[in-house]
Amino acid sequence: MIAMRSIWLCVLFCFFTVTVQAHHVLGRPSYSLGEDSNTPPSMQVETQIGDFYVTYMAFPAFPKPNEQGRVNLYASRIDNGSPFDGKVTFKVRDDSWFSKTTEILGVQDIDEVVYRQGFIFKNDGDYIITAEFESGGEPYIIDFPLRIGEPSAVGPIGITVAILIFVLLMVNILQRKRLFGLKAKRAREENNS
Amino acid sequence: MTMTHPGLPDPWLWLALAVMSFSLLWVLFFTPKKLSTHSFLNVEKIPLIGWLARLFVASPWPLLLLKLISVALFLTVIAAGLFGTPMAERNLATTLTWTVWWSGLIVTVFFLGSAWCAVCPWDTIASWLVKRRLWRRADASSSLGLKFPKAWRNVWPALAMFVGLTWLELGVGVTTNPYATAVLSLVMIVLATIYMAVFESKVFCKHVCPVGRTVGFYAQLSMVELRPRLQKTCDSCKTMECYHGTKEIEPCPTNLVMGTLTQSTYCTSCSACTMSCPHDNVGWRVRSPAAEAIQHARPHWDEAWFMLGLLGLTTFHGITMMEFWEQGLSWFGQLIGDSGQLIWSFSVGMALVFIAPILLYSLLIKLTQILLPVKVGFKQLFAKLAFISLPLAFVYHIAHNLNHLVRESRGFSDVLINPLGKDTLPLSSAELHMRHMNPLMSEQFLYGLQAGLMAFGFWLALQILQKRSLEIFSDAAAWRAVYQVPGIIFITIITAINLWLLVQPMIMRM
Repeated sequence: MIAMRSIWLCVLFCFFTVTVQAHHVLGRPSYSLGEDSNTPPSMQVETQIGDFYVTYMAFPAFPKPNEQGRVNLYASRIDNGSPFDGKVTFKVRDDSWFSKTTEILGVQDIDEVVYRQGFIFKNDGDYIITAEFESGGEPYIIDFPLRIGEPSAVGPIGITVAILIFVLLMVNILQRKRLFGLKAKRAREENNS
Repeated sequence: MTMTHPGLPDPWLWLALAVMSFSLLWVLFFTPKKLSTHSFLNVEKIPLIGWLARLFVASPWPLLLLKLISVALFLTVIAAGLFGTPMAERNLATTLTWTVWWSGLIVTVFFLGSAWCAVCPWDTIASWLVKRRLWRRADASSSLGLKFPKAWRNVWPALAMFVGLTWLELGVGVTTNPYATAVLSLVMIVLATIYMAVFESKVFCKHVCPVGRTVGFYAQLSMVELRPRLQKTCDSCKTMECYHGTKEIEPCPTNLVMGTLTQSTYCTSCSACTMSCPHDNVGWRVRSPAAEAIQHARPHWDEAWFMLGLLGLTTFHGITMMEFWEQGLSWFGQLIGDSGQLIWSFSVGMALVFIAPILLYSLLIKLTQILLPVKVGFKQLFAKLAFISLPLAFVYHIAHNLNHLVRESRGFSDVLINPLGKDTLPLSSAELHMRHMNPLMSEQFLYGLQAGLMAFGFWLALQILQKRSLEIFSDAAAWRAVYQVPGIIFITIITAINLWLLVQPMIMRM
């Protein structure tokens, strides 16, 4: 149905990493208590791509550097619900504008109905986990966000403060110039008269 | 796991339908009379709350205190969003902003008019930054004071912002994302500050702010209004401190003259007029919620679009919380090759729901134009009768929001104690179920309120239609009930859709 050379699904939520408990909306991460036990919580993204519904789960939900984590991937056909049973390649890259290096995490076979991929990250940051597989001659490439460590809060605050200072400073300078100009004009008019 | 709130049960639906049928018969078979002046009651004369109203009218300090509280909460929301847990139901940013404030705000408009604008945190922060005064009048040099471009002196920018906000809220999912909620809050501060620093008065509040304009339009249906105590005093006033301000008090931020004020749409309840009036002639009064939309508000083309847009987007809110919406979105996504968050599919759906009531309304206005024996321009008729959409949007908005407020704000005290949600876990199924089963008020009372609101909105829309169509005729005897039929069809279709949505189970937001 989809005649595309490759299908890119970029669930990039640099600003919009969404959490939903009860209201699962396609493509938005939600947090729930772990699949394996009551704790720790897991992060889950349900989405659809081409002929498949894909569910991605990350354990733990808030992974830290040097901590063992795992990704579970479920892919089933939209029309009949049967699971995809080929190979899935998991890759990772740094989610930054200038990063081009992609590292292969592993190639996984299906285990029951799930593809499992472990990971350990050394540094804090935003990463993109890519799951790739092929079905019906079409390549499927799905990107999911993964945050390691605490997100940076300085960015939005820094940008806001910088904009506010710039605007207020510019207005102040322009106003001073304008008042100075008015004073000079008045002085000239007084001298002329 | 998807949990749903139960819809309005059949007995309440039938009761609402019975009241609506009665209203319809009344409008069709009773000839209306031309309107005279409406009655009102000075709030300051009401026992217990009179002194409170007096306090806010006479001194800037109580309002300043409320502003400080509002700003403190707003800054906490930003801090919680940026530094707190990403779990929406455990973070103050999302729970306070979307479940409590955004849901409750619309309810408060009915009782307090545009009071929110008086304590609006982003406007307060912008004022403090630009004017560098807590409440006193700032000197003229604090802002560039440029005139707002004439082409933008309307509510088109606010409508565009409202569409954008709805897209972010329901499409991108800001409501369930604390970080994005905090970023949105920061954006509001930046926008309010830039507009205040560059342009004269408060053009952001008047022409751009989607919250302010939504509150402003709904305030036409509020049971209170800020007006002159004695019209005579305003008529003889030569100094107009309400418009020009005094040495200490700011002029009206939206350039309103109290003596000629007939609609609350642009009033921000800031109390500048009450404090600057040398005759102590401005105060709050209680009125019929129908008075302004029926009689006093003046029709404008852009405002008509805003009201109709409000109606479409309000219904759209309800639609997105139905299970069929998600199934339809998934089907459409597959059809067009959309994937991921299905943003394209969502945007197409949103555009359709937004434009559908406007198209239907336009068609029925054209029909009314054909039916009328007097010649009235399409744009004029479009603007004049658009007020019928206001009560339809308002009552459904409140009825829908009551579901969020009453059923989803359980557990808010836990979030207040731990606003950042540190060391918390996602809601367990048991907790979710407990919240679901323990609404803040009895379910039957909630259903009663929802059914009553829908019937009230239907009646109000019919009243507006009848009185506004009567206004077209200089001779009331020339008016015929049949001229209202296209308007009645519009009101009935919209009410039927909104009522049907209320009857359906609604997916819980968080």
